[in-house]
Amino acid sequence: MRRIVFLLLVFIGFGMILSAKTTIFDRNCVSCHRRKGVSLRRTFMNALLIYSGEKNMKAGLKYFLRHPSKETSVMGEEYFRTHRLKAPTTLTDSELDAALDTYWQRYKVIGNLR
Amino acid sequence: MLRSERSTLRRFLALYAFLTLALVLLVSVFYYRSEERIMLLRRKAQVADYAADQIKRLRRLHEHFPRERTYPRDPRFRSAIYDLEHVQIFSTMRNNVVDFRRDIYRHDGVIHFVKLLDSYYLGAKYLFIEIPDDRTWFWTTLGKTALGAGVALFFLALAGLYLARLFLSPMRRSIELLDRFIKDTTHELNTPLMTILANVEGLDPSALDARQRKKLERIDLAARTVSTLYDDLKYVTLESERPARDTEFNLKELIEKRILFFETMFRAKNLELHTDLRPVVIHADRRLIARLVDNLLSNAVKYNRRGGSIEITLRPGELSIRDSGRGIPPEALREIFDRYARFDESEGGFGLGLDIVRRIAQRYGLKLSLDSEPGKGTEVRVMWKDVES
Repeated sequence: MRRIVFLLLVFIGFGMILSAKTTIFDRNCVSCHRRKGVSLRRTFMNALLIYSGEKNMKAGLKYFLRHPSKETSVMGEEYFRTHRLKAPTTLTDSELDAALDTYWQRYKVIGNLR
Repeated sequence: MLRSERSTLRRFLALYAFLTLALVLLVSVFYYRSEERIMLLRRKAQVADYAADQIKRLRRLHEHFPRERTYPRDPRFRSAIYDLEHVQIFSTMRNNVVDFRRDIYRHDGVIHFVKLLDSYYLGAKYLFIEIPDDRTWFWTTLGKTALGAGVALFFLALAGLYLARLFLSPMRRSIELLDRFIKDTTHELNTPLMTILANVEGLDPSALDARQRKKLERIDLAARTVSTLYDDLKYVTLESERPARDTEFNLKELIEKRILFFETMFRAKNLELHTDLRPVVIHADRRLIARLVDNLLSNAVKYNRRGGSIEITLRPGELSIRDSGRGIPPEALREIFDRYARFDESEGGFGLGLDIVRRIAQRYGLKLSLDSEPGKGTEVRVMWKDVES
């Protein structure tokens, strides 16, 4: 019995550590994009082509995630032949900002050229 | 040239020189700017080709990022990319002080060309192309500007001289008119004046009664006054350009002779004369020094009060003549040595006396000093370097 309780506690502890390491971006964006087979790198590079700067890009993506439309999407018309438009996000403003910050930090070009 | 003329000319030339230099500077700056613009426009076509090549490379890098991370480089130029928010994405440029408002400009030895991207590859909105500025155009432009400015200044200086003459001609005409009048008058004065003086000297005062002797004395006084004036006018108009006949003579003796000449005038004004004269030998034209002494004595008499005094002191290196007259107001002192300058209209004269004194002093390098206190008197000192001291 004691052994079962001990294993349960170890399992819960690992679970807590793992959940603490995953971000809002990982939980809400990466999982969905992976499921739908849409590269986050590709969307980032498409967004860069349109929005250029960090603040401008975050503001543009935030608006799109709240009010998705084909016109404001960074994906081309080709994309929507095989994919549906995403549903509006249910994340709060602060969660969305945090997710977009992670997205920028993970894929940005600045500091990654040589 | 009179001091008033010199002062007017100096002011005019200063203003003219300032305006001329400002004009030349302004034109030079415009020319420099225009040459710089022409040079930049020539380079722009070349640099725009470099930018087009770089954009193609950026597009390729954008498509292959992050597998490919090496920023494209070209030996012909350096470059940098900036995003919409003016944040630098990457740069190989030597000079990273950039201006987003101009399409091409020079800065610190390089030329920057700015190209705005239609598609923001790698997030870049601005592509800067940097090439070195070899400055050959600068030295060529500088040479042309200096040559142009030199030629312009030469012609403007000629125009300035012409304008200055034009500007001063009314003043010069008035002075020439006055000079000519004095010259003509002087010429006509000689014969009657000599006749009066010769006849007065020829009369025997002891043969006359007291009343007639007094009248004769008055005629003698008037004739000597006119004679002094005549000598001054003759010096100013006819003799000032004559070469000096310098000899060594005793100044004390000359002063004593001149005092004798002025004796009638001293007496007429009841002036008390104090002299302290030491023998001093100088090397100069006796006639000119006599004019100098005469004018100082004449002023000391003319502007003295009745019953006043005159002190004449002669020391090696200095002659001083002090009167107890009405003095000269401080504001008149600056121009007192100018020709036709007169601070007191109550006495006759043309304002030539101290101008003659100044000219003779200048001729022999004598130093003049005039101290005057209104109501108390004036002291004129003539100083020279005494060779014996």
